[in-house]
Amino acid sequence: MKFETTTESLAQAVATASRFAERRANLPVLGCVLITAEGSRITLRATNLECGVEIVVPAKVTTEGTVAAPAGVLSGFLNNSKGKSVTVSLVGEVLKVEGERANASIKTIPHEDFPILPRVSAETSFTIKASDLVRAIRSVAYCASLSAVKPELQSVLVYGDAGKLTTVATDSFRLAEKQMALKSGGSIPQLLVPARNAAELMRVLETVKGDIEIYYNDNQLSTQADAIYYTSRLLDGAFPNYRQILPKEFSTEALVLREDMSSALKSLSIFADKFAQVSLAIDPEKKSLFLSSRNPDVGEQISTVKATIQGDGVAVSFNGRYLADSLQSIVGDSVRLHSNGAGKPMLIKDASDDSFLYLAMPMNR
Amino acid sequence: MTTTKELWENALVELELSISKPNFNTWFKDTHIVRVEDGSVFLGVPSQFARDWLSTKFHKDIVRSLRMLSDSVRNVEYVISRGQKRAQEEPRTIPPPPTELALEPVHQKTSLNPRFMFSSLVVGPFNELAHAAAQAVVRKPGIAYNPLLIYGPTGLGKTHLIQAIGNHFRMQAPDRKVYYVTSERFSMDYVSALQAGKVQSFKEKYRQYDLLIMDDVQFLAGRDKIKEEFFHLFNYLHDGNKQLVFSSDQHPNVIQGLEDRLKSRFNAGMIVSVTPPDHQSRLAIVRTKAAMHNFVLPDEVMEFLATTIEGNVRELEGALNTLMIQFEMRGEPLTINDVKTLLRGSNAAAKKAVSVQEVVKTIANFYGVEEVSIYEKTRRKEVVRPRQVIMFLLREDFRISFPTIGDKLGGRDHTTVIHSCEKIKNDLRSDSVLSNELHQIRLMLK
Repeated sequence: MKFETTTESLAQAVATASRFAERRANLPVLGCVLITAEGSRITLRATNLECGVEIVVPAKVTTEGTVAAPAGVLSGFLNNSKGKSVTVSLVGEVLKVEGERANASIKTIPHEDFPILPRVSAETSFTIKASDLVRAIRSVAYCASLSAVKPELQSVLVYGDAGKLTTVATDSFRLAEKQMALKSGGSIPQLLVPARNAAELMRVLETVKGDIEIYYNDNQLSTQADAIYYTSRLLDGAFPNYRQILPKEFSTEALVLREDMSSALKSLSIFADKFAQVSLAIDPEKKSLFLSSRNPDVGEQISTVKATIQGDGVAVSFNGRYLADSLQSIVGDSVRLHSNGAGKPMLIKDASDDSFLYLAMPMNR
Repeated sequence: MTTTKELWENALVELELSISKPNFNTWFKDTHIVRVEDGSVFLGVPSQFARDWLSTKFHKDIVRSLRMLSDSVRNVEYVISRGQKRAQEEPRTIPPPPTELALEPVHQKTSLNPRFMFSSLVVGPFNELAHAAAQAVVRKPGIAYNPLLIYGPTGLGKTHLIQAIGNHFRMQAPDRKVYYVTSERFSMDYVSALQAGKVQSFKEKYRQYDLLIMDDVQFLAGRDKIKEEFFHLFNYLHDGNKQLVFSSDQHPNVIQGLEDRLKSRFNAGMIVSVTPPDHQSRLAIVRTKAAMHNFVLPDEVMEFLATTIEGNVRELEGALNTLMIQFEMRGEPLTINDVKTLLRGSNAAAKKAVSVQEVVKTIANFYGVEEVSIYEKTRRKEVVRPRQVIMFLLREDFRISFPTIGDKLGGRDHTTVIHSCEKIKNDLRSDSVLSNELHQIRLMLK
């Protein structure tokens, strides 16, 4: 096998592919990028059996062939290589990579064990603007649970109806939901995308302009974004019926500036205890929101945030990080807080945009 | 009929041999048979990755290994299903009813044999104490007697007792972890863990149990590394108030090559012995075992078994099994004489050590001939017959070789001995007097 291509495109493709390779796999070939040179292009593949990627790079192929090279080594070398073009050739079991200033010989691994990437038939699909999908995932993905106890909570729920795509994630302490407009494929059943895979999908789509089409079936989801084919396993499980826990009516509503809230929470985190507890008091008479945190080893802090308040006064505690997290997904300049009193969850929304909502559970103590 | 689970487990064993370990671990993890339908095996796999790869790369191997185990397998289909974990857990939450236990082979998780229950154990003076201690352990695991060590000669139901503890414990608390292991198995586990560099997982495996039953601990003696591992395991479980149950063929204090620290630990709990059963208990054992198999025996036959087979319950069971097979083959009830003829050739009758001289003396006395004449080269009729009988008995009952018999009886050729044995054997078929004589002689030799 021998081909020549531009350093930049190869380095970028290998870097992307190597994110999908599994470093600590039982099967050594899964830690590799599979490179196939054929016709006038090369195809890079990598998978960790959870998700997989296939990238096509135009190249001048002299001899066709296939090779599996350790992803970390290859991307590490290419990231630091200079020059316009790079020549890659297979000599025996060694992959020779020749750049402008540096040459490398990389030991390869037998490629016969490299699995095929699942293909999803084009029967069920939806179309959405790539940047919208990225935003939909980014707005909620951080809420996904890190614990493997409930795999369905380790994922991002994606479903769609009435021309809207909804993404949801929760770790049972807080929940985020985001809606984006769909271009086509109105009714989408509940798809559970593992959160790690969703993050990779986001990174793949970040550079894509225009619309993309997402194919799915019961077990797998995939998309073709420019030269990149992406596929992910879908979790088999039932996402909790979160709609029923969303409160409909509220006893208190407060409108605050996002910037005020954000900076208050940032400085409060310095004084927060190990549970990151932040106490929040909404005082309608003083037209203010009082936020306080206290750590016996450090000290304490009280911040006042000016607010427009309707309803009763409320005092309730939250994990400060959970409150701060919600603000990263809010783009408008003001935030609406909805509460039903102490011990009840608080709903946080973007005052100017109804497509995002965030529910935070209070702390018990 | 093997279950689909066993079928797949056996197939995996085959596959593991033909596929490299990384490949096997990667692709066959979490696979299971969902159902079998018209010769098609539906294999549940965790993801589409696994489905696509198994069906392109390993399909042939899978079909071959399944066919080897079951001829009815025509085809294998792959379905994506993650239900395996749940399916595995479900049966554990519902304890199987005791009536079904008998049909079960050795329980996978605990390696207990469900056949061994307290209800199938005959309790007599010989094992009363051990039985009471075992029941106390089931009632108050970890508290009553910890550790419990039952010792006694082979074949007296030690294994039965300690496994019964495990089985009852399991029924009583299905969510608690029980494990039965022989010390031999324990040693092997340790050695293979050592070789694979997985000592930690070995430790973890054994330390998770709420009740650990180890059979034949005397075999631990002399294996230093394993003894040490056992010692730590013992301490760990004992400190955690986990019940430990052991069996041994000797009192721990007299086991050679067992350190004092282990001896004293055994002594800290309860040590009970089982002794060979007395006549009454043996009779009761024969009755129970026969009844267990719905096998009807006349009282005199039971009496005969209890009298002739002393000491060892296992031999008693063996004799009973022989009788049952004979009964099934003949299809008619066995008489006491049948039983005697059947059991004569068995180990049970031949185990007594009798010297050749004694046999010669007894038989010579029986026929009223002089002992010395047997050894002489005389061919008098009254001597020839007893001599042939002696040779026959020495051969048949005491399994002495033909040349030795010839040698002992005045330096005769082994062909002479063979001839004599054949002659008596032939005569026995028609000569009832001879058969009677032999019977009496045998009783005298006991």
